[in-house]
Amino acid sequence: MQNTITIPKFRIGSRSYDPFPVWIALLVSGLVFGAFGGYEVLRYGLQVTGLNNHVTWGLWIIVDLSSIALGGSAFVFGAMVYLLQLKRFEKVGRLAVLLGFLGYSTAGLVLLFDLGQPLRFWHPVVFWQVHSLLWEITMCVVLYLNVLIAELIPIILEHPVFSTHPILDRVPLLRKVANGAQAFAHFLHKLGPFWAIAGLTLSILHQASLGATYGMLTGRGIPFDPTAPVLFIISAMGGGTALLFLLSMLVFRVMRPGLVDDKTLYDVAKLAGGILLLWVYIRLWDWAVVNYYSVQYAVDTQTALLDKVIPFSLSFWIGQILLGVVAGFVLLYAERVKNWKVLGFTAALPVILIVVLRWDYNFSGLVASFSWDPFTPTIWLHSYTPTWQEWAVATGVISYWLLAFSLAARYLPFQSTMHHE
Amino acid sequence: MIEKELPQEEQQQDISRRDFLGLAGAVAGAVTLASVAGVHASQASTHAPEGEHRWGMLIDINLCIGCKYCTYACQAVNNLDDDMIYNVVTLETTSNGDTYYLSRNCMHCEDAPCVHVCPVGATYHRPDGIVTMDYDLCIGCRYCQVACPYDARVFNWREHTGVSCRVPAFGTPEVDPRPRGVMEKCTFCQHRIDAGLERGLTPGVDLSATPACVVACPTGARVFGDLNDPESPISQRMEQHDVVIRLREELGTNPKVFYVPPQDAA
Ligand code: SF4
Ligand code: SF4
Repeated sequence: MQNTITIPKFRIGSRSYDPFPVWIALLVSGLVFGAFGGYEVLRYGLQVTGLNNHVTWGLWIIVDLSSIALGGSAFVFGAMVYLLQLKRFEKVGRLAVLLGFLGYSTAGLVLLFDLGQPLRFWHPVVFWQVHSLLWEITMCVVLYLNVLIAELIPIILEHPVFSTHPILDRVPLLRKVANGAQAFAHFLHKLGPFWAIAGLTLSILHQASLGATYGMLTGRGIPFDPTAPVLFIISAMGGGTALLFLLSMLVFRVMRPGLVDDKTLYDVAKLAGGILLLWVYIRLWDWAVVNYYSVQYAVDTQTALLDKVIPFSLSFWIGQILLGVVAGFVLLYAERVKNWKVLGFTAALPVILIVVLRWDYNFSGLVASFSWDPFTPTIWLHSYTPTWQEWAVATGVISYWLLAFSLAARYLPFQSTMHHE
Repeated sequence: MIEKELPQEEQQQDISRRDFLGLAGAVAGAVTLASVAGVHASQASTHAPEGEHRWGMLIDINLCIGCKYCTYACQAVNNLDDDMIYNVVTLETTSNGDTYYLSRNCMHCEDAPCVHVCPVGATYHRPDGIVTMDYDLCIGCRYCQVACPYDARVFNWREHTGVSCRVPAFGTPEVDPRPRGVMEKCTFCQHRIDAGLERGLTPGVDLSATPACVVACPTGARVFGDLNDPESPISQRMEQHDVVIRLREELGTNPKVFYVPPQDAA
């Protein structure tokens, strides 16, 4: 099963360097920076953030929502491999599981800092309030994180170090433990279809609910948008799959050439492209409905105000629509484009789209909110500037994501040796 | 102008629209998981329960002079730092350009968005309809703050030590300070109501059983009482006015704070 792993080299003149150690050092310094910010937040509370009673959710929520969305390929490919039995996507699917796990663990990590009472993070699991979307999301995310871990364990345990390391022959107890671990991994692996169904259900539930979290804020203007749940799911599927394609290029084409054929990679791109075009279609209808058929005065005023302070409409047309159209078409026709550099660049665009969508949803209603004056209602403008502590924590968790991914890309076996019944 | 009661269908529509959105998530989540653990007992519904009392407040905009005594009395009694305000007084304008003061605290909505969204049931309806907080449960996620259409919630961004500067030399605050990182809001001075009822007093009539803002208002612009009791001061005062409004009625939150609109606007 051993595949030689090629690390892309960095060339200066005639000499080539292995960028890996430098890259890892960079990420570790990101983690250290994050630790400084994180310490301040835990020590002094949320007063060190730029958040306030009006803009009460900020940068961290965007990191949180985006990282969950970027893990969206895990459930898509779980379903494809185990439910639709498309076995040629199995290796890519393993990468998707990894991305899912990274996305959700990053989200959990950043949320810990975002809570006013971080030590009570477990409360929703014990104190149920079943009407709350946030409760449902928490439960789904907790359960889904477990599903992802169950899917990830066999992949990690397949690393040869756990079965062929010489020390195992010298210490019989370790050999026994290793055998037990392998059996456990096999057991978890056999349950693949079960995890796929659980993952699909949980993901669709909470990806939708994340949208509904904003969609149900009737008092907030623009975010009141019944399509939000669908938009959140579709964007997570499209953007998540595009990211999977981008990283598959690195992990399979560059680092493990020959492990996954180009045709399969093209198919991943096509899938991402198709979903992105569907996204654009639904997003445009949603835009039309919100602008033409609902509370037009309020939406107009709010949009105009937001346009004054931030290029709100521009972020919509460029960040959500144009990026979607460009990435959608290029990825859909990936096989004809053939240029991997272009494809790689294009596959990064939906990642921006995912972040912009969530950014707009979160801030439009918080930054410009309606007043309660019954006679001459107006829209209030508030402001929010993230502090260095917020940037630090965000940098820290993103560094965690990149670090874990980089190590996995280098060391994780993506080729399964386990046979299916 | 909105008349005393919003047409029933309209309320229904707004509620069902919101509930519909929640349905995909909350109900399905509940169905999937309900067998694993019990539902937090007090959270069976997010609509206010029908109890013996139903406390409400009426604010006569024509009598309000914008002195902010309500704000200060509230801060003193609830031991709030100066930057934490439950009772906000703002200068607003009617459609014909006249200015008036709008004094606004938590509306104690019967269909309260904040209660609906709290993931742990830390904010809930008491049997008497007061929307209150369990500070030991709150995780500080601030979803309630995002969901409240009246900007009524205040977060404890920092630790509060010492005593509110609004507490007069002769008095002491009546409520313990809340820890850093939890949400808080107007409670209709539930501690005064509860202590008063125990002593056989009538909230809204007897001053020590009545919310501090109502007691402190020098013009009598604020009236408090039991909406279930036709004899209560609030019911009596509401009778005297042809038009009584509530804020952002279209959202279907059913606030229990009512306003007598400015004369020229009515
Ligand atoms: S006014 Fe806001 S805080 Fe008060 S009950 Fe209504 S939604 Fe909750
Ligand atoms: S901040 Fe506290 S009261 Fe508000 S929704 Fe979160 S847990 Fe509930």
